Amino acid sequence: MADEFMKGFACLMIGGLGWMTIGGWYRTPSFEGAQITGEVTVENLTLYDQIGLFMGEAFFWFAVFGALTFWVLLPLASEFRTYLDERSA
Amino acid sequence: MSDNTTDDDVRTDGSGTGIVSPDDETPAWSERKERTQGLSRLTYEYFERARREDQDLRQESDYVERDVLAFPAWPHEMMRNIALTSFFVGMILFVSATLPPEMPNPANSSVTPAIILPDWYLYWSFGLLKLGPLNPDLSILGGTKLMADRTYGVLANVVVVGFVAIVPFLNKGSARRPVEQPFWAAVGMSGVIFSFTIAALSIKNLIPMDSHLLFDLTFLVPIVSATITYAVLKTMREGYMFDLNRRYYRLRPPK
Repeated sequence: MADEFMKGFACLMIGGLGWMTIGGWYRTPSFEGAQITGEVTVENLTLYDQIGLFMGEAFFWFAVFGALTFWVLLPLASEFRTYLDERSA
Repeated sequence: MSDNTTDDDVRTDGSGTGIVSPDDETPAWSERKERTQGLSRLTYEYFERARREDQDLRQESDYVERDVLAFPAWPHEMMRNIALTSFFVGMILFVSATLPPEMPNPANSSVTPAIILPDWYLYWSFGLLKLGPLNPDLSILGGTKLMADRTYGVLANVVVVGFVAIVPFLNKGSARRPVEQPFWAAVGMSGVIFSFTIAALSIKNLIPMDSHLLFDLTFLVPIVSATITYAVLKTMREGYMFDLNRRYYRLRPPK
């Protein structure tokens, strides 16, 4: 169980770090104001900019779904399996 | 066994109990044994039986336990420290390289800034200076206050810091988990929440909320959270004991 927690936590931290970094590059127009979640103010996005923005989204959803998977879905599945086993036994 | 060795000596080969209390405060096994009811009894039996079975196993085997007091600094401790240090140094390098902080104009030392605030970790103390509304007007003094609001705020700091300093002396029980002592866990929880609410009070001009409501919530939310904590832990106790029992008997089924 502790292992599952650590895997979910690692997903959350790695995803969050990547999301924060790319948010700092593209979604922080000024020091005062919206941080990380602001509008993209870069004009004429190059291929690298588009890859970066995509990676930001990917990191964000990796953090969300990674934590959800290891903290909610997999424990639920194992609980359900033990429940079925106990019921059939 | 030679002549100069008696059975009273503490040995580490599993033949004696080898249990020595680290100081006068720690209850010995015999003292723990005298606790005859409830969770303390169950915990005692759990650990005592586990220890006893370990001891029996050690006596049956021919393995000679080395008299080791600790792990050597190299490589065990050093490798752990290097790993931790590398992680934090790497984190600092990564963040400073990818997200360099903006360097705004240098501060003008001849102008007082519009909003004066301490560093964030002192917000709670700053909030305690804003307890003026709690300073009572004494009718015996003709409606005047006994002390100035600023004196009252400083005194509030003394009271809170004094209470935090007293807490370790209030409860010296052997409980190691919140579920074993719900009341003290609730007291600690209300303190944690109060440190946040009082910090929010100190920056009340930045909080989008009516300042009178914020002032009331500062004191109500800790009480509510303490009540919730107490209720939840009190409810968890039964399940905790059941779980302890079940785990024990799953590991060591009765013969």
